Amino acid sequence: MPESSKMKKPDVKVVLLGDMNVGKTSLLHRYTEKKFKDTISTVGGAFFLKQWGPYNISIWDTAGREQFHGLGSMYCRGAAAVILTYDVTNWQSLAELEERFLSLTDTANLDCIYAVVGNKADLTDPKAQRPQETDVVSEDRTECEEDQTEPQVTSACPTPPASPASLSGLMLHQQVTHEDAVAFYGRILRYKGLDENNSLPAEKMCFETSAKTGYNVNTLFETLFDLVLPSILRKRNENQESPTVDLEECRGATGKRSRSACC
Amino acid sequence: MKHCRGSIYNKFPFSRTVLNAPDHLHPAAGFDSEQIHSDQPSYTVLHHGYVNVCLYVSICCLQRLDVLAEMSVKAFELVPAVERDLLMGDKARINIECIECCGKHLYVGTNDCFIHHFLLDEVTSPKGKPSYSSQKLLHKYLGLKKPVAELRAASALERLIVLCDGIVFLVDMVTLETVPSAAGGGAKIRGVTAFCVNENPVSGDPFCVEMGVLSWKRRTVQIYMVYEDRVQLVKEVTTPEQPCAVSLDGYFLCLALATQYMILNYNTGASQDLFPYNSEERRPIVKRIDREEFLLAAPGGLGMFANAEGVSQRAPVNWSESVIGATVCFPYVVALDESFITIHSMLDQQLKQTLSFRDGHILEVFEGKVILASTKAVYVLVPLPLERQIQDLLASHRVEEALVLTEGAQRNIPKDKFQILHKRILQQAGFIQFGQLQFLEAKEHFRKGQLDVRELISLYPLLMPASSSFTRCHPPLHEFADLNHLAQGDQEKVLRCKKFLISYLGEVRSTEVANGCREDVDTALLKLYAEQDHDSLLDLLASENACLLTDSVPWLEKYHKYFALGLLYHYNGQDSAALQLWIRVADGDLEDHTRSDLYEYVVDFLCSCSNLDLVWKYADWALRKDPTIGVHIFTKRPGSKDQSDLNPDDVVTYLGKHSRALLLYLEHVVLERRTQKERFHTHLAVLYLERVLSLLSESSKNEQQLTRARERLQALLRESNLYRVQFILGKMENNDHLLLERATLHGKLEEHDKALHILVHELRDFPSAEAFVIWASSCQDSAYRQRLFHLLLGVYLDRTLTGKSAAGVSSGDLEMAAVDLLNRHGEVFDAVRVLRMLPEGWSLQLLRPFLGRAVRASMHACRTSQIALGLAHSENLQLLHDRLKERKKPILVSEKKGCHLCHNTFSEPDVVCLPGGVPVHTHCVAQRVRDPPTKRPLTNSSNHT
Repeated sequence: MPESSKMKKPDVKVVLLGDMNVGKTSLLHRYTEKKFKDTISTVGGAFFLKQWGPYNISIWDTAGREQFHGLGSMYCRGAAAVILTYDVTNWQSLAELEERFLSLTDTANLDCIYAVVGNKADLTDPKAQRPQETDVVSEDRTECEEDQTEPQVTSACPTPPASPASLSGLMLHQQVTHEDAVAFYGRILRYKGLDENNSLPAEKMCFETSAKTGYNVNTLFETLFDLVLPSILRKRNENQESPTVDLEECRGATGKRSRSACC
Repeated sequence: MKHCRGSIYNKFPFSRTVLNAPDHLHPAAGFDSEQIHSDQPSYTVLHHGYVNVCLYVSICCLQRLDVLAEMSVKAFELVPAVERDLLMGDKARINIECIECCGKHLYVGTNDCFIHHFLLDEVTSPKGKPSYSSQKLLHKYLGLKKPVAELRAASALERLIVLCDGIVFLVDMVTLETVPSAAGGGAKIRGVTAFCVNENPVSGDPFCVEMGVLSWKRRTVQIYMVYEDRVQLVKEVTTPEQPCAVSLDGYFLCLALATQYMILNYNTGASQDLFPYNSEERRPIVKRIDREEFLLAAPGGLGMFANAEGVSQRAPVNWSESVIGATVCFPYVVALDESFITIHSMLDQQLKQTLSFRDGHILEVFEGKVILASTKAVYVLVPLPLERQIQDLLASHRVEEALVLTEGAQRNIPKDKFQILHKRILQQAGFIQFGQLQFLEAKEHFRKGQLDVRELISLYPLLMPASSSFTRCHPPLHEFADLNHLAQGDQEKVLRCKKFLISYLGEVRSTEVANGCREDVDTALLKLYAEQDHDSLLDLLASENACLLTDSVPWLEKYHKYFALGLLYHYNGQDSAALQLWIRVADGDLEDHTRSDLYEYVVDFLCSCSNLDLVWKYADWALRKDPTIGVHIFTKRPGSKDQSDLNPDDVVTYLGKHSRALLLYLEHVVLERRTQKERFHTHLAVLYLERVLSLLSESSKNEQQLTRARERLQALLRESNLYRVQFILGKMENNDHLLLERATLHGKLEEHDKALHILVHELRDFPSAEAFVIWASSCQDSAYRQRLFHLLLGVYLDRTLTGKSAAGVSSGDLEMAAVDLLNRHGEVFDAVRVLRMLPEGWSLQLLRPFLGRAVRASMHACRTSQIALGLAHSENLQLLHDRLKERKKPILVSEKKGCHLCHNTFSEPDVVCLPGGVPVHTHCVAQRVRDPPTKRPLTNSSNHT
């Protein structure tokens, strides 16, 4: 993760929330490294800096374990987007989002946007099983690894653990439908006191992804990044108006102004 | 104490002041001056005060790098500072409670209410290992019989702030005497559980210290100002719960409460909950690590970062559950638990080093110096110089980590020095990856590190030109002597490395990376291409390049790349050498299969060669080898207007002994370039004729060849008007085989009767006769044409000759030819004359097509002239009508009236009247008749004529 070390000041923050074992770290991995690899349970949290055009976006991967739950609201403070992640094969993971994680987002920005993401879609949706066009790198190696990791993941879930054999043959019964997620999104808006008509529509903000095959992963992050751009611009403007004199910022700002003036 | 007094002038008395390195640590005996490479600076992290020291330490370390190569990464070294016997001797129950360090002054508070004052000196052993010597200056009993809980120095005030038995008071830093209360206010605070000093105070007063104080059983934090002899309460803020640990930066208090951490702005009262924490279970840790940033112990053994806004800007580190103390020594988080010191990187959150440390008790950082204490002794955790750490990482091939560490230290190093270091580390990283054959990564690092590409080239034996002044950078960027050393005899590895260098040099040779060493790069590339039999060798030599001739010649000869060598000679302006070499290859004296068509290449080369001496010199070789292709040297020269280009006369002379080539050249000159010189046309015609004659004289006639040769001759004779006809004719005068050619020549001489006679009577080739007539009259008017056709008809019908002509051809044939001619070209003939010539006996039927056409033509002429006549008549009538009309009235001409054609006035009475009665000058009309009327504007009245 050399990118994360560059110590650039992030312009905006995106936070991944969700119960343990839903695949937050894997999603981030898939997006940043185009690979699906063995992950261990995240301790505390980690973050990744993504260069998006001229902006730096920090993506925080939080720990799903109950033990670290208290840190969640701190991670969410000032977030411009929150990705609420559940496991499509585990209904409880969606319920947990509502019970435990939604309240953590109280510290996020007022205009924070929310995405509801059902991961592990490859277990329920045939079209999510094929490796994705943009993620050609998902070599055979990841396929092999899956046999080792997936049973652990499922056994940790409250759902009855599926045997490795059934994974390859049978399709798991999808425990969370897309409609459930859409309904949950509606409840998020209500919880936030937002008007559904003025907010982003549920169809746009509910995703089903597969970190394993890469299905929908890029779409998810890139959609969100595009949506938080206004937030970045607003934040930059605020910074320019603040009484603190940041020499670097000023240089950038005056540069911009003079450029627009001469045009 | 002088340096402490000196720090009064510092803006913030408690910001950890930078100290000068002790005098005796300056470079002295024991260091060979050559060992100190001024271009190899090394740095310490946060230890600006000891840069000098560390520089010398690190140099020693570099010398021992090879020894350390096997060791794992070491970021810190634990060095004893104050041993047990200096503190408490063998008194078992006496423990260290707190420590403070200010410059060289170390204060230790014990549980028996003593403060010990030591002078701590850093000494460097000859081996470069840091160590500390401590000298006890004083110890003082505070008289409270309770442990000294906390000690903080206020060096600007020369005071120690002491917390003992719940009381905060001040003691003199030198004498350790308690400072008596000043008249204006007390110098004591009672009921205190903990306090902290603001290292980034908002108040700019250098002669006071701001401190945050927590009290017994009170949910408040009090802010005091500490002066030399008094303390003053300036602010009190309440907290929702009992606070148990505090840290202060600016207006921001970072507090550990009973169940959570929070940030509290004591100026505005605004608060920000951070996260829950049970302070009953674990001792909370609140440590200011930077401006408005704190390090907190979080549940689950985490070290969390939080800034004053309550936001975490760094990912947490995972230390143990039982951490007692933690601090930051950039870029590391150092944590202490009962038996270990753990060191995590803030850059990648990884555990970097673990040191065993028993009875750990206190971990603090003073002025960037990490000091630890067990219950009985004090230690310093000395960071190894950054460069050393990086080199250790590189030595164990942990490239990513080394780069992360380097880049993470950017803010602690001056920009220019950082850039030098960063580049060097990138280059080293690149070489490590190169050694592991990870070429993609290596290339990227070479690129970012702006590697002098010769460093890489010099790894490959014999690639650097002998004349190159390059020497490898010192200290070396890698451990390899050369490629063979790297590959350990594995030829496949060597090959892969060479392929990599080929692609790498190919990429950089046109970029600025190659600036200043283009010769070296291009020569190396040439050698590699030649050795690897690479296709791009020719591209390299054919385009702009800086290959060194002296170095490349033997190399190319060694690999039999003679064609390429020729290209190199050519590029260096030695065309003659190139040609000599190529000719030897083409003649088979040398072996090089690069081009199977080398001969053609040489011809092309000569063809475009501007050096005419060379052309004359080597054309002979080319012509002897193959005249047909060799003549391209002359025929395919790019058309240039240059006067100095080849003169055709010279060429023709030169080609005298190469008859085949001469013919081709003349054909080129005459037929393609269409030269208008009689000499060449005649010469070509003669050559054609000679060819035909020689073919004719051969005993076994090759009909096909003969036909082709004759066709050429005939075509030339027909189409060219420049050759000397009589001369050619003279050469074939008595040859019975070349009748057609002779006829053509007679035609050229306008001796059509002779020509036709030959064609009709000697050759008896009527189609040719007809074709001749058409050809001979093709550019002439119709009368001439008619004359020729009549001539031909006359020849056909000439009975006197018919009888005499050779037997075998009956007169009927001639008659039929005459009939055909008439019927085919009836329109050309004058029908009346024809009818007069025709024999009486011919049937009408025979001439029907001719007669029909003749009658129709005559009818047509008749009617056309009738129409013309009618039109002229009507025009005449019209004019008469106008004239009559105008006669009725006078036509006025005066000097004031203008002519309609020239608009000048009339000066004489003689005028011409245009139709419509318009008077104009006589000379104007005359001019108008001469010039077409469209050239000048017409007057209205003349429009209808």
